[in-house]
Amino acid sequence: MALGVFLWSMTFQFPILDDSHPGPSLFPRVLGTLFIVFGAMVVYSGWKSRGLKEATNPDGEQIPLNYFNPILVIILIAVFIALANKLGFIITGVAILFILMMKLRVSLLKRSIVSIALVCFVYLIFSKLLRVPLPMGLLGW
Amino acid sequence: MDFLIQGLGLLLVPKTLLVICICSLYGLFVGSIPGLSATLAASLLIPFTFFMDPVPALVSIVTMSAMAIFAGDIPAALVRIPGTPSSAAYTQDSFALTQQGKAEMVLGVDVVFSAIGGLMGAVVLMSSAPLLAEVAMKFSSFEYFWLASLGLSATVMVSRGSQVKGALAMCLGLFLSTIGVDITLGYPRFTFGSVELLNGISFIPAMIGVFGISEVMRNVMQGEMHFAVTRVQAGKIFQGTWKLFVRYKWNVLRSGILGTFIGILPGAGADIAAWLAYAVSKRGSKEPEKYGNGSIEAIIDSGTANNSCLAGDWVPALVFGIPGDSITAIVIGVLFMKGLRPGPMIFEQQPQIIYAVYLSFIVANLLMIPFGYLAVKTSSQMLRVPKNILIPGILMFAITGAFAINNSVFDIGVLGMMGIVGYFMEANGYPVAPIVLGLVLGPILEQNFMTSMIKSDWNLTLFFMRPISAILGTITVIVWLFPFLATFLEKTKNNSQGH
Repeated sequence: MALGVFLWSMTFQFPILDDSHPGPSLFPRVLGTLFIVFGAMVVYSGWKSRGLKEATNPDGEQIPLNYFNPILVIILIAVFIALANKLGFIITGVAILFILMMKLRVSLLKRSIVSIALVCFVYLIFSKLLRVPLPMGLLGW
Repeated sequence: MDFLIQGLGLLLVPKTLLVICICSLYGLFVGSIPGLSATLAASLLIPFTFFMDPVPALVSIVTMSAMAIFAGDIPAALVRIPGTPSSAAYTQDSFALTQQGKAEMVLGVDVVFSAIGGLMGAVVLMSSAPLLAEVAMKFSSFEYFWLASLGLSATVMVSRGSQVKGALAMCLGLFLSTIGVDITLGYPRFTFGSVELLNGISFIPAMIGVFGISEVMRNVMQGEMHFAVTRVQAGKIFQGTWKLFVRYKWNVLRSGILGTFIGILPGAGADIAAWLAYAVSKRGSKEPEKYGNGSIEAIIDSGTANNSCLAGDWVPALVFGIPGDSITAIVIGVLFMKGLRPGPMIFEQQPQIIYAVYLSFIVANLLMIPFGYLAVKTSSQMLRVPKNILIPGILMFAITGAFAINNSVFDIGVLGMMGIVGYFMEANGYPVAPIVLGLVLGPILEQNFMTSMIKSDWNLTLFFMRPISAILGTITVIVWLFPFLATFLEKTKNNSQGH
């Protein structure tokens, strides 16, 4: 539902965009219309089944879900983007793996070994085998 | 015949054979781990294919997906969780038989009939693709526009859950494809002044994000899963398989054809083939009461269908450049990356590549017997791989792979964004496959529409004037109207019942 509303708000930007060219604006306009139509249908069906869902929601045997971890994954990707060029691929990679595995309760020794080994493995494959210029950062010489 | 030998020559190079073996093991591993799908495996494979020659690149996806779809059957039988969505249809039956002490029989059937299904699909691919390519030679922008529309519509039609949500997901994919410089006038659209966005959203990071990062996010949310794995005596798995084959040979033939046909339909993948084959099998069975409680017939039918579907999926991808499912959407991305434009011309210009792909299907499915045996033998170890180490590893590969395509951290941003989008969409019951198809087909759709319009001086009727175009157009319109027709028919039926 939240996504439906989000898409809706996006569609309002569509039709007013680059109206001087009939060519480039045609396709986005058609899409904008489709977004509005389908968005409305989702909102309508969501509104219709609102009462229904509350009644049939089985809370019983759900596994406790950790909602922080997915956010952490995104934060770590953002950290990687921010630091990879400065610190280099290896240091940043080891750091984010170390933090993620800490959250996933891997023991200290295991996560130290695994994060270093894994990053070196990935580095060797991409940098040496596939010749991707991965940023070296602090380890560069 | 010459091309067949040339294709064989391309395939039997040590490097390509090595790729086949590695990708087989990779596919078996990812497929047999619940929660990791064949599409994820394919999306993580693309950065590697980027650096390969066309033949090993395509062959790697063929072998990997064939193995992964089979390997999805292993956890279905042993721990009642399908390894990939394609095994979901008969998970209940597989596990019920395992509980009856017949795990070996189930796994043997899984290996052998997956391979047979795959081979049947390969035969259909080899015989139908060149014929269709000849028809496709006559296609112009009008026909391609309709084909792309048909592909997108079919994706929405078969999307699980709500079709409206499928349609919204498709629109999102189409919208993402409009980002960047416009094809008719070179006008930058939705770039918000960003230089990186001028070239559009890179397809590969977007794919890895939607399938890879969202799965990583989902997996870290669940914590560690512990399975009680049934021990299997791998030596016994092929006992009695031949008897079953003789007994159910017509089922195999039917499901193989059905699966391939579903594959050829643009937009419908192996999971749908398995469900449909299951339904057809139950209807034609002498023992329908067994379905859901351990029917080997159900497993034979759906297991054959999902693997035969894989080869079918390649038909529209190679012939028209219209993906048959999300894995072939990736294939089309790879073909473009390799400078090969999928479509009928490829059959004329580089037939040896096409033949190498055909042959790789046969090789992959023959290899499935020994490799499948190996996978069953090591299954209890594979299912014990700790996810809290595996998932961070996937994250690392995803990030590095996204970076490697353009050597740009911007693509890692695309990866993260698409991961968030994929995650929230799945969490709210939106299918994600239509996004990918929208992203791949969007430019094809728009370009062919615009070319047609400019060619015909904005005369819309021309879309229905050419014979093939008219047929395709009519089918597409029927597909669009189908949901409304279905609702209407149901209402009239209910009304007449009420009276």
